[in-house]
Amino acid sequence: MSADLAPWIAIALAAAVTFGTRTLGPVLMARVPSTKRVQRFLDCLSTSVIVAIVAGFLARGTPREAVALAAGAAAMLLLRKPLLSMAIAMAVAALWSACQS
Amino acid sequence: MLTFQGFKAGMRRMAGVALFGVPFGFAFGAGAVEAGLSIAQTVAMSTIVHAGASQFAMLELWRQPLPLLSIAVVVLAVNARHIIFGAALAPLLNALPLRHRLLSALWLSDANFADMQAARQSGSRDLGILVGGGFVMWLSWVSSTALGALVGGSEKDLSRFGIDVVMAAFFVAVIATPARRIENLLPIGAAALVSVATLSLLPHGWNVIAGALAGGIAGVIRER
Repeated sequence: MSADLAPWIAIALAAAVTFGTRTLGPVLMARVPSTKRVQRFLDCLSTSVIVAIVAGFLARGTPREAVALAAGAAAMLLLRKPLLSMAIAMAVAALWSACQS
Repeated sequence: MLTFQGFKAGMRRMAGVALFGVPFGFAFGAGAVEAGLSIAQTVAMSTIVHAGASQFAMLELWRQPLPLLSIAVVVLAVNARHIIFGAALAPLLNALPLRHRLLSALWLSDANFADMQAARQSGSRDLGILVGGGFVMWLSWVSSTALGALVGGSEKDLSRFGIDVVMAAFFVAVIATPARRIENLLPIGAAALVSVATLSLLPHGWNVIAGALAGGIAGVIRER
């Protein structure tokens, strides 16, 4: 295989695999009958997958990330503005880093 | 349902979040050129893969000769969470004609999936929101990648400015409201617990899938 071609093959491969992951979910669910329990499962799945991402992020991180995200969550519950709560979380994390160095 | 109004609304809803994504795209572009990709390859990857975490993971493996099998497996592992996103959106996606189904699934990524969840909680069933949000995220990802690849970067430490917490903070903003509802306590607890417990046991990224499935199952069990 030519060395010039290999990167392009790797990129195309990654794109194909990623496209597969994006389309597989609905294909799988088309084979499952849509009962009340399945709907309940999918409802909880959609919140849970986001929770699982955040929990993993926190577990890999330090108190800095936990405090920043807690500030963001509090801001969201009080102010109901996603962008503002992101900015607050970011500011807290930046401030923490600044105090550490 | 998939409407142009929804598409425009999705673009509007995600424009701000997409701006927060710019430093990541920039860092990816600069990192990719440093890892040995050409500028064209770097931009092409962001254009057709459009999945940041897996693209960063690919850079870790980018040594000649390229380990194609490892690359495919790692990309699959990191992006397998899309399968869960797609399954969660299946009731909406599978109501569309096949062509629209594929078109919508193409834009599935973390942030616009989360935003679509928020839209569903307020009663919308329009996947245009997902597609519009995905489109604006993609535009920002590709253009900031190109900028990073062209300019390069000396500033690699995103954490100094707190940028590393931005995406997680967006997810927190989306789940903050449903998390307060008492009936969601058990699924959310199960998801968080299993995700953390399996973090070091499973290959990279699969703890998210284990956690999500645990949350889904907890929801069904509680219902009975």
